[in-house]
Amino acid sequence: MRRAETLFALLLVVGAGVGVREALRLPVGWTAAGPGSGFFPLLLTLGVAFNAILILGKSVRTAHPQASEPFIPRTAFGPLLVVFLPMLAVIALIDYLGIYLGGAVYLAGYTRFVGRFGWVKVILVSVLIPVALFLVFERWFLLPMPKGVILEFLLYGR
Amino acid sequence: MPILSVLNDLLYGLGVSLTPTNLVIVLAGLLLGTAIGVLPGLGGTNGIALLLPLTFSMTPTAAIILLASVYWGAIFGGAITSILFNIPGEPWSVATTFDGHPLAKQGKAGVALTAAFTSSFIGALVSIVLFTFFAPPLAEWALKFGPPENFAVLLLAFATFAGLGGGDPAKTILMTLLGLLLSTVGFDIVTGQPRMHFGLVSLQSGVNFIVIAIGLFGLGEIFLTVEEGLRLEGIRARLGFRDVWETWKLFPRYVATIVRSTILGFWIGVLPGTGATPASFMSYGLARQFSKHPERFGKGEVEGVIAPETAAHAAGIGALLPMITLGIPGSPTAAVMMAGFFIWGLNPGALLFTEHREFVWGLIGSMYVANVVGVVLVLTLVPVFAAINRIPFSVLAPLIVILSSIGAFAANNQLLDLWFMLGSGVLGYVFKKLRYPLAPLVVALVLGDMTEQALRQSLIMSQGSPAIFFNRPIALTFIVGSLLLFALPVIRSVRRRQATSAPERTADRE
Repeated sequence: MRRAETLFALLLVVGAGVGVREALRLPVGWTAAGPGSGFFPLLLTLGVAFNAILILGKSVRTAHPQASEPFIPRTAFGPLLVVFLPMLAVIALIDYLGIYLGGAVYLAGYTRFVGRFGWVKVILVSVLIPVALFLVFERWFLLPMPKGVILEFLLYGR
Repeated sequence: MPILSVLNDLLYGLGVSLTPTNLVIVLAGLLLGTAIGVLPGLGGTNGIALLLPLTFSMTPTAAIILLASVYWGAIFGGAITSILFNIPGEPWSVATTFDGHPLAKQGKAGVALTAAFTSSFIGALVSIVLFTFFAPPLAEWALKFGPPENFAVLLLAFATFAGLGGGDPAKTILMTLLGLLLSTVGFDIVTGQPRMHFGLVSLQSGVNFIVIAIGLFGLGEIFLTVEEGLRLEGIRARLGFRDVWETWKLFPRYVATIVRSTILGFWIGVLPGTGATPASFMSYGLARQFSKHPERFGKGEVEGVIAPETAAHAAGIGALLPMITLGIPGSPTAAVMMAGFFIWGLNPGALLFTEHREFVWGLIGSMYVANVVGVVLVLTLVPVFAAINRIPFSVLAPLIVILSSIGAFAANNQLLDLWFMLGSGVLGYVFKKLRYPLAPLVVALVLGDMTEQALRQSLIMSQGSPAIFFNRPIALTFIVGSLLLFALPVIRSVRRRQATSAPERTADRE
């Protein structure tokens, strides 16, 4: 936990440094239109840097109450990856699968392998929910979602 | 005079909210909100962020009534899971578990639920009355604000986070600055110059608030829930008419607690940056301190349910007061609602009262209607809502992820936003684990443009001299107040070093 705290604070310091550099590429002083467009960002990035350094200093100096605890409990590592990796995959494949098909695959995989559902339930859940969502968002509220090439082809033949 | 005109406006607002369409919206919002409140891993803030895209095609009045009703529903619903399952459906119902669940285990689930809903209702109703009469004069006063006053009051809002939020003030301030910084990405609001995009074209259109909120509060929450592992062991709820009646007979005994919790809750809600969650904890603590039988708390004391529930709902109402009058959201949930204002083409703040009477008074009217309808709804439908919790988490988790993706995409019709959402989800998880508070980041992100504009306009007025904040009386008052609030954690930590270490308050979730 403590290492994570220190590392993250360090990351924030570096990030703030990059931010300061980005702000300095803009006019930060007085311009014809008052304070330049970089004035406020510069102020903020400097503030972030200052506080990040404070946090970093405190983390290095003082004893952390849960110093020896790991940042992610070992038992939680598997379940976390099981949620995260499919999320990553669905977003990465969204051009092909779209939200509805991607969602169906995600639901099916998750209920089957995490929830240990029987196949009938798996198919019911992963068909009915995406269809319901499709009707609500696409049809009822007219919000066009990415449908992916497969669903586009099936629905509109293109 | 003013009282009569307020009553007149209120009648008009009730009329607006009682039209058949708006009544249906109230009902739908309450049902959705209660379901959101009941489901663990799906909070009010995220729930409202997810629903925001659905309001794009509505009138602003219908939209705000929907979102507000969802908020009230979520506050009611949070209590159900706390009492029956010992799992807070919402952060503000954590304190309700302390005595609510023991009561349920003793077979008094009906008493606990009735007490929770009824006190929630009373806290809400009294607060709405306070709201009705405080809002118009506050808005009228705020109309006199110029840019320096606006900046000073925004600074005061940020200072309350640092001063009253609890936790490490350096982290709170850092998160506030980070939120403001994120709002500067994109085009400069004054000169239109693209900035802070680090050479990435995709960042030039800015960072979308809804996407960030959904990631931080939606996905981050899922990660945390998965990490903690979710086990549901529920107690069956049956709420008979007798339970309700028997519990109501107990209420006169707790008048003092209810009054105290309402005032405390409302006031904490009004303060920007704090919300229903700290209000519920403080109210619980106070009730125990004032009780003649503090030892009964934690073992199933009805008062231990009444106190946090009253305060939580009062704070929920209070949080909307600065939003509607000053344009400053009193809680992250209010911040998400306020993000909606811009989308619906409204500018939050005092001008709403004069320019959008239907919107403001429709909202206020709907608060009365929604809370009356809400309490009846939850009292009668407890078993139905409790059954929602039988939805297995393995369906719920992917469903929330899919809904989050839909919400994030709909905000801007941009595929890249899904990556931003995922990134903020991971960051949200890290932030929570390392105790960086999320609320200031979200509120600051919404207020970023207003803050920068107020600051730069003030400096233009004074030709660059910061003295302008000190020689205008209202601005000066706010500035002094903010400085005091910023100093508060320092004073507190010095004191703590002298005394023994006090337990840390957590107020970062709402």
